[in-house]
Amino acid sequence: MTPQIQEPFAKIVKKLVELKDTSELMMDLAYSSLLLSSRELAEEVEALEEHMDNLHTEFELLVLASGFRPEDSKDFLGLIRLGVVTENIADAAAEIAGVVLRGLEPHPILKDVIKEAEETVTRVQVLKTSTLVGKSLRDVKLPEETGMWVLAVRRGKKWMRPKPSLALKAGDFLIASGYAEGREDLKKLASGESVLSE
Amino acid sequence: MVRLEKIEYKPMPVRDLLVEIKDLSELMIDLAYSAALFHSHELAEEVLELETHVDTLAYILKMNTMLAARDAEDAEALVGVSIVASAANKISDAAADIAALALREVHIHPIVRDAFSKVEEQLVRAEVKSNSILVGKKLGKLELAARIGVDVIAIRRKKKWIINPEENEVISNEDIVFARGAPQGIEELQMIAEGALQKFGD
Repeated sequence: MTPQIQEPFAKIVKKLVELKDTSELMMDLAYSSLLLSSRELAEEVEALEEHMDNLHTEFELLVLASGFRPEDSKDFLGLIRLGVVTENIADAAAEIAGVVLRGLEPHPILKDVIKEAEETVTRVQVLKTSTLVGKSLRDVKLPEETGMWVLAVRRGKKWMRPKPSLALKAGDFLIASGYAEGREDLKKLASGESVLSE
Repeated sequence: MVRLEKIEYKPMPVRDLLVEIKDLSELMIDLAYSAALFHSHELAEEVLELETHVDTLAYILKMNTMLAARDAEDAEALVGVSIVASAANKISDAAADIAALALREVHIHPIVRDAFSKVEEQLVRAEVKSNSILVGKKLGKLELAARIGVDVIAIRRKKKWIINPEENEVISNEDIVFARGAPQGIEELQMIAEGALQKFGD
């Protein structure tokens, strides 16, 4: 990604990108959970909030441990502030998901507002009967097969970025976005009800 | 002392208000990161202005949802709307905080900014001048994505924001166009909007 920059900056940037991506993923998931009245998506948002807390702490520690000089402190304060803001965004997403978790049936207005965006986010679990098991994301070509883009992969408590080389395991949860039609195709592939085309 | 503008009640559909608040807050996040990472004062100022606008909309939405509830059942149904509106407003506040990093003394460390900006798509704010070839043209007809690889995400016409403009949106003189894309395309769009370039280079 950024081969030429030296430590500690490379690590700081990597963590910052992760914070930003996670907070945006949470927003997408939160709005989708409302649209679909989906408890499972709302629960993912809640789980991500915890993950976000850890990321944020790791990020702050990296910044603080970078050994900056007093004259650079303002530049590093900016980084700390940016981290806080991503956390605020994550909190806002959690509040939105909270509407679903409380069991309030989302008002028709809410569904209407979110439907304007044509894409939705969905969560599927890879079952051991699925042809996806043991294959890398690069090989399974989900966008071509289903029209769905994988945004994140959750394995137990661990969240992973969808690197092409990431090999899928039974039990993995895929968080993916795309048009509503692709959702069923992805579900079937992940459950083993349908198989990858050769 | 800070003087805040008094916000008067206006009857407006809650749905429309919420759509606008949600769309603006999402646009603001994109603009704000770009402002902070590319150190753009202009983009940052736009975000701060939008933040005030979203605050006003959020007040009007609150008043309208209050009036819409006639009994306990209504209140239960509407509380979700109010929570989502306040969360979207919070997101717009977060965007303003990010944008402020481009304006104040405390900013993002330059090395991090450089590295981060390489993985982020750049946004541009281009002012359409009267002699630009864009004036009077439909967005769809311009085929900006195919020609120069940029995507128009919003247009500001004086105080009015058009988010994710449709293909038949006609560009006017003095429009402010916000677009994202590859650095080269963005530069070209800016020159075309300003009238410095009179045709698309190939």
